[in-house]
Amino acid sequence: MSDAACSRCGQTFPVRSLFDLNGNTYCGPCVQKTSQEAEERGQPSAYMPLINKSICARCNTYIGTSNNAVQVGGLRFCAACGPLIKDWDYPPWLKLGLAALLLLLVVALAHGRKYFRAGFEMYVGEHLVEKRRYAEALPHLQETLRIAPASDKAALLAAKAALLTGDVGSAGKALQGHNGGHFDDAGKPEFQEVNNMWKRAMDALEKAERAQKLEAEEGKEIEAAQLMHEAASMYPEMSALKFAAESYEEGVAFLRKDYDAFLAIAQKQWKEQAMPQTAAALASALACKYAATKNISFRQQSEEMLEKARQMAQGNADALKNLDEFAERNRYRLESGLIINKAEYDRRFRGAKIASK
Amino acid sequence: MFFIPGPVIAALTFPGVIIHEAGHLFFCRLFKLQVFDVCFFRFGNPAGYVIHQQTQDFKAQFFVSMGPFFANTLLCVVFCTAAFLPVWELKVFDPLAYFFYWLGLSIGMHAFPSTTDLSHLWADAPGLAKKGNLLAIVSLPLAAVLVVLNYARVIWADLGYGIAVGVLGPIAIFKALAR
Repeated sequence: MSDAACSRCGQTFPVRSLFDLNGNTYCGPCVQKTSQEAEERGQPSAYMPLINKSICARCNTYIGTSNNAVQVGGLRFCAACGPLIKDWDYPPWLKLGLAALLLLLVVALAHGRKYFRAGFEMYVGEHLVEKRRYAEALPHLQETLRIAPASDKAALLAAKAALLTGDVGSAGKALQGHNGGHFDDAGKPEFQEVNNMWKRAMDALEKAERAQKLEAEEGKEIEAAQLMHEAASMYPEMSALKFAAESYEEGVAFLRKDYDAFLAIAQKQWKEQAMPQTAAALASALACKYAATKNISFRQQSEEMLEKARQMAQGNADALKNLDEFAERNRYRLESGLIINKAEYDRRFRGAKIASK
Repeated sequence: MFFIPGPVIAALTFPGVIIHEAGHLFFCRLFKLQVFDVCFFRFGNPAGYVIHQQTQDFKAQFFVSMGPFFANTLLCVVFCTAAFLPVWELKVFDPLAYFFYWLGLSIGMHAFPSTTDLSHLWADAPGLAKKGNLLAIVSLPLAAVLVVLNYARVIWADLGYGIAVGVLGPIAIFKALAR
């Protein structure tokens, strides 16, 4: 190890005993004084053993007083490390890796496109369900299920939206399409909620079916209407049940010979849903009113409604067949002024043994 | 709580370590700080590091320390968003989606700055915050939370953060888009 001179006292000392302060070399006693003076002047006062400045701070190579050394703050670096630390480049593999990552990201986004669509539809549907806009939500949720039928969330939301709009068919399709109706987590509140709705709907439909059978039997009109009302109040979301209950009330009014009530219900139903059946029911009620009052305007209206029913039924063979059957009875009612039900008519003129309305 | 050695976790989630260190390097270069040494990944503790020049510029200090936190979080959200729907919501078995989700979570769980990164910030921020430095004011609570979370790594806070970002981020994005 060589010797060097203190820049303040001028004496020579071994390098290992000297210090560096702001680029000048000092011996032990001088560096303390100089540091104190520098501090008082507000200048940098930190010093370090000179030997630390003789080796590269990064690779520990001896650099002595080499002119090629690079000074960064209080540290010195060899010629090899100097440029590296000033501009540390990204290694080629990292650049390639980041490029691959970007490419992966593009692939991920492109690959996930169909899922984005399904997910987007699901969130739109969920948002609409939260807003209680169930009918609007259903098509969105059905689109999700088309892409991802196994999605618990989409299936339950679709079933909920369908059940709350009275669309039991779509609800059943959404639930059955999900692993045949199997859900892993049946304890989830979402599942319980839909399950309870489904049970309620099924019970109501079962009652409606019983009511339908009763209604076909002669003299069971009141019982049938009562049962259909129960079904409708159990599952009010299904407007068809309420409508059916009302139309069963027509039968009850007919049975009680309350033709004003029969006409009022038929008019209401026609107003709510203009279709061949409601047109025919209104024609029937008007014919009853004509038979009871002989007011010609009721007859004219009845014939007009029957014609409307025929026009609406065009293209529907079953509806036309039913209308032909009804037209015959309605004509009899208008011409004879007698009010009899279908079973009685069948007995009198068609030789039917089994009574049916 | 079960114990898995750090190097094993780092190896299983190595993309996150590399992205984190690349983030440090990126911000060092951006703020023209000298870099003395870089290790992008190794089987050891820490799994990666960037040794760089200290600076008095708080903005540079903030971004060099916190940059990887933001970058890793953002990339976690992006990759997890690409894979979130098939994995979590749609229940579609798609191996590619699971791969992207692993990548996203690996990046997310290495978002936390190390305690060394935070210590420099923590030392300078209070003084500057008193002088009204906005970045210092913002960084104080953030650094405090991150210091706590860093210690909570023993109870898998880093994994929890990755999952939270990888699940809540995509949900927030999709719900916002759906409105």
